[in-house]
Amino acid sequence: MMYRGGVVLVLVVAAASLPAHAEDCRSVDPARSSVSFELEQAGSPFRGDFRRFGGEVCLSGTGATRIEVWLDPASVDAGLPEIDAALKGSDFFAVERYPRVAYSSRSIESTAPMQIARGMLKMKGESRPLDVPFSLRRADGHVVLSGTLILDRLKYGIGTGEWSNTKWLGGEVKVKFSATLSGPS
Amino acid sequence: MRWRNTDQSYGILAQGLHWLIAVLVFAQLGLGLYAAGLPLGIARLEWLTRHKSLGLAVLALVLLRLLWRLVSAPPALPESMSKRERFAAVTTHRLLYALLIAAPLAGWLYASAAGLSVNWFGLFQVPDLVAKNAHRAALYKSLHHGFVALLALLLVGHIGAALRHAFVLRDRIMHRMLPWTRPPA
Ligand code: HEM
Repeated sequence: MMYRGGVVLVLVVAAASLPAHAEDCRSVDPARSSVSFELEQAGSPFRGDFRRFGGEVCLSGTGATRIEVWLDPASVDAGLPEIDAALKGSDFFAVERYPRVAYSSRSIESTAPMQIARGMLKMKGESRPLDVPFSLRRADGHVVLSGTLILDRLKYGIGTGEWSNTKWLGGEVKVKFSATLSGPS
Repeated sequence: MRWRNTDQSYGILAQGLHWLIAVLVFAQLGLGLYAAGLPLGIARLEWLTRHKSLGLAVLALVLLRLLWRLVSAPPALPESMSKRERFAAVTTHRLLYALLIAAPLAGWLYASAAGLSVNWFGLFQVPDLVAKNAHRAALYKSLHHGFVALLALLLVGHIGAALRHAFVLRDRIMHRMLPWTRPPA
């Protein structure tokens, strides 16, 4: 009896822990995702997008468990060629030296209805802890993560020299993202 | 001194608006040329921002001036002027009004399409006229330059004609716009 009971117990425990161990990792589908930014120029909002990005998000039954994403700062598109050129230059993203901005989560907390990823953002050679609040929803048969965060651009050296003047070019940058994951919801 | 125009002279309000707009338009020509010549940087942002705010003030003042013209008719041109001269004067004045509206309007369209909206002297957000569009922005920029160049050209004619009235013909036409002269008894 003892022996059989033990087998049943092991099976039950194994079954219960199975979904948690089988991480369901999916790639971000760039065609259905977006990353945009907004900051103030001379007191007015100025917006732009990043066109090339990607990454992977791992899911469990309750939400996301791991996030690894990147973007190519050279894909910045603020709608004006001369401004895009400046943003790729050494005062801003210095894309030749730092061709990649990356974020990876260390842990993810659920604070329904949102989740918060705690991790590191690496941008222009500067690695800093960053919490990213996001929501996860299932839309059109896909999993979509979206959120907004505020970055202090000066902490990452985005806009050095005269561009560190936050009266004319705001220091706070609002980043909005929406990532549709490949595969079914 | 009267507020309203008489059949002999412009009133104080029309004169005041004329000279205020004259000073601002010259300031705008200088400011625009100076700012557009600066390299992309904080100084360019600063001066172009002032140029945009001041230009919108000109637009508002010109509209006010036209409105006042409807309320209080300007003095007629004297019979001493030939038909051709009167035609030239009336046509120039109409074109000046048209360009005083078209030039800042094209600037406003340009700023809107470029995504570089205006916060009026830091006091309030000016609405955009059109959505951001790099293609259109280039078009509106050329329009702004074109209208401004035409305006400058017409101003040369306008000022030349005024000086001719004052110093060659000595027919008191220019004096009608000068606040410190009295109409002949
Ligand atoms: C009476 C009104 C105005 C006058 C006389 C004027 C005149 C000028 C002039 C002379 C320039 C330099 C053009 C060049 O580079 O050759 C300029 C540039 C410019 N103006 Fe205006 N302007 C007026 C109103 C406005 C307004 C209302 C706006 C926007 C709200 C505006 C936006 C601009 C911008 C953005 C430029 C820079 C163009 C560039 O990038 O080269 N202007 N303006």
